[in-house]
Amino acid sequence: MRRPGERRWWPWAFLAPGLLVYGAFVFLPILDTLRYSFFRWDGLTPPVPVGLDNYLRALGDPIFLKSAANNLLLTFWFSLLPIALGLLVTSLIARSGLPGTRIFRSAVYLPQVLSLVVVAVVWRWLYSPAFGPLNQLLEGLGLGQLARPWLGDFELALPAVGVIGTWYEFGFVTVLMLAGIQKIDESLYEAARLDGASAWQQFRHVTLPGLRNEITVALVFTLIAAFRVFDLIFVLTRGGPGEQTSVLSYLIYRSAFQRNEVGYAAAMAVLLTLIVLAISALIVRRREAAAEAAA
Amino acid sequence: MAAAPRSTVVIVLIGALVATACGFGASGSPTPGSPSVTPQGSPPSGSPSAAPATLLVWDQEVRNAITPVLDQLNDEFEAAHPGVTIERQSKSFEDLKATVKLALQDANGPDVTQINQGRPDMGAAVQAGSLLALDDYAARYGWDKRWGPAVNARNSFSDDGKQFGTGSLYGASLTGEIVGLFYNKEKLTALGLQPPATFAEFEQQLAMIKGKGEVPIAFGNTGGDAIQIYGSILETLVDRAWLDDFIFGRGGRSFDTPETRLAAEKLLEFSEKGYFTRGYEGISYDDAWKLFAGGKGVYFWTGSWIGGDLVQTAGEKFGFLRTPPQQAGGSVLTIGGVGLPFAIRKTSTKADLAAEYIDWVTGDRAMELLAKAGVLPSHGAPGAEGTGALQNEMAAAFAEANSKDEVGHYIDWAGPTLYDAITAGLAKVLAKRQTSGDFVKAIDADYQAFLKTLE
Repeated sequence: MRRPGERRWWPWAFLAPGLLVYGAFVFLPILDTLRYSFFRWDGLTPPVPVGLDNYLRALGDPIFLKSAANNLLLTFWFSLLPIALGLLVTSLIARSGLPGTRIFRSAVYLPQVLSLVVVAVVWRWLYSPAFGPLNQLLEGLGLGQLARPWLGDFELALPAVGVIGTWYEFGFVTVLMLAGIQKIDESLYEAARLDGASAWQQFRHVTLPGLRNEITVALVFTLIAAFRVFDLIFVLTRGGPGEQTSVLSYLIYRSAFQRNEVGYAAAMAVLLTLIVLAISALIVRRREAAAEAAA
Repeated sequence: MAAAPRSTVVIVLIGALVATACGFGASGSPTPGSPSVTPQGSPPSGSPSAAPATLLVWDQEVRNAITPVLDQLNDEFEAAHPGVTIERQSKSFEDLKATVKLALQDANGPDVTQINQGRPDMGAAVQAGSLLALDDYAARYGWDKRWGPAVNARNSFSDDGKQFGTGSLYGASLTGEIVGLFYNKEKLTALGLQPPATFAEFEQQLAMIKGKGEVPIAFGNTGGDAIQIYGSILETLVDRAWLDDFIFGRGGRSFDTPETRLAAEKLLEFSEKGYFTRGYEGISYDDAWKLFAGGKGVYFWTGSWIGGDLVQTAGEKFGFLRTPPQQAGGSVLTIGGVGLPFAIRKTSTKADLAAEYIDWVTGDRAMELLAKAGVLPSHGAPGAEGTGALQNEMAAAFAEANSKDEVGHYIDWAGPTLYDAITAGLAKVLAKRQTSGDFVKAIDADYQAFLKTLE
C-alpha cells in the first residue's frame, strides 16, 4: 500500500542495477537472436533478410526434426524415469525409519555437484568397448554376446546417454521428494491406516497429493534439462552415430559456430526456446488449475 | 503456489541461456560499411618497431609436446624485443574454430591468430575482410621460398574470399602435417612383415594380422574419425586434377564418382572383416590412440599431429609410412600439408610487429625446437633433423610427398557443411544404414548446393 508522499519510482531505483545487468546480458541478446533468425547470415558478412525462410527450413529439415525427436525421447530418461524412481525410493525409505537415510540422501545427490563434462568423461570410460567395466562385466558373466559399442550403436546410443541423465537427475528428484514428504502430516497416514488403506492406497491418496508441488518443480527442472542437454552429447557422441544422438542445442552450436549458419541457428534457438516455454507453461498451468480445483 | 513464480523465472533464464547461445558477439552486429582501419599505408619498411607493445596471440597448440615450444619461442621473441609482450591464449582446436572468426572482427581481438585452412574458416574470414593479406611480408621475409607454391596455395584466397588456392597469402604455418599409417614395429616384425609397398599388400597384411589374433587397425569413431581413413583410401584412387578441382571448387566436379563409392565400400569391407578395434563405433579418438600407444593394434591411421605425443610416450616402438599406392612405386596422394597457419587481424595496429612474430614462430629456430620436441616441422631448416626414428620417418614421408607434389587435401575443406555430412554419412555406411551410392549422392548434393552460393 502506497502511503501519501511516497515516491512511485523509488523501488525502481533499487531494482535498476539488477535490471540493467539482466537487460544487457539476457534480454537484449534474446531480442538479437530473434532478429538474426530472420536473416541469412554467416556471422561475418552483411546479413540478408529472408523473412521466415529459416523457420520453414527448420521445419522441413530432417536433422532438425530428428534432433527435436531425440530431445523428446530424452525427456523419458531425464524426467519421467527419475521422478518415478524418486517417488518409489522416497516412499520406501522416508517413513521406514531405517538408519543410513542421511548417508543415502547425500550419496544420491552427489552426481548433481559434478560438472556434466566430468560425468560424461567417466561414463565414456564405463561404456568403452575396449576397456570399459560394463562390457567386461558382461563378458565375465558369460554374457559376452550382449556387449555392445554402446555409444556407437545406432539403436542404443541414445538410451546409453539417457541412462546417464537418469543417474544424474535421480538424486536431485529424490532429495526434493524426501524434503517434501517430511511436511506431510503423520496423522494423515495414521487415519488412512485406521481406515484400512493399503500401502499403495496410502501412496496414491496421501503421499502423491502431498508431493504435488515437489513433482511440479521436479518436472519443470528435469524437462528443461532434457531439452537443453549439450555437454553429454558434446563429450560422448558428437551427435553420432549418424544423427542418432543429435539434440537441438548441439545442432544449434554446430550450425552457428562450425557451419557459419548463424541466422538458421538463431531460428532453431528460438524454436527450442518456444518448445521449452510451452512445456513449462503447460505444467505450471495444470498445477495451478489443479490447486484451484482443490481449494 | 510457491513453485510457479520461481519456475517461471527459471524458465525465462533457461530460455535466455538457450537463446543467447547464438547471440554471442551481438554487440558487434555486422557493419559492412564501416571504414576498415588500414595500418599498412606503406609497405613494410624493414625496421621493426622497438616501442612497448603487447601482441595478443591465439593458438591451438595445446598438445603436450608442442605447447612448451611455443612458450619458449615467445620468451625468446620477447628477449630480443625489449618492451614487447606476447600475450598467448591457447584454445583447443574446436574452441578456436568456434570463436576466432568473431574475435577477428573485434578491435580488441587477437593481433595474430591461428585459423583453420579451407573455406569454412580462413575463407569466411577473408570474405568478411577480417584478415590482412601477407604478400608484402611474404616477399620481405622470403616466405615464398620457405614453402613451395602448393603449400602456400592452401593458405591463399582471392580478395573476395571466393576463390580458394589462389590470390593473396593469408597465413604461414608452424607444423607440417601428413596423414598416414603409424605402425607398431615390434608387432610387425614379430609377424614377419615389412611396411607394405602397395595397397593390395597392405590388405593382405591386414587379413593375416587378423588371422593371428591381433588388432590390425586401432580405431575409434565416436568423433567421426572415419573421415581420415576414408579420405586416405580415396586419395590413393583419384588424381591430382580431380582432387584440386573438388577442393578448390573449380571445374564443376561431382563427388558422385566410382572412386568415391569404392573408397566407402573399402571402408565398410575393412569393418566387416574385423580389421578395426572391436567396438570402434563406441570408442573415442583419444582412447583409440592410447590403445595403440599401449600396444593394442598394429596400425593406426591418423595424422602426424599425434607423432609428437607418441615420440614422447613410447618413441622408438613406432614407425610411420604413407598410405601405400595402388601400384607398386606408383604415384599416390597423401592427405597433409601444413598445420593451422598464423594470420594477422586486418584491423591490428601492430601489423609489422605481428608479421615479424609470424616470421619468428615459423622460422628456422622454431623448426629446430619443434624437431627436438618430436613434432613435424612445416619446412626443413638447419638443426631441424629429427631426434628419433619415428620422427625421421614422418619427416621423410612429408618431404617425399612435398617434393613429388603428392600432398593431398582434407576432403572436408571443400565446403562448410561437408565435415558434418561426411562423418555422419560414413557412420551410416559402416552401420549399413546407407549404401555407398546414397552416401556419395548425399555428399554431392551438399557440395553442389555450396558451389551455388559462390556464384
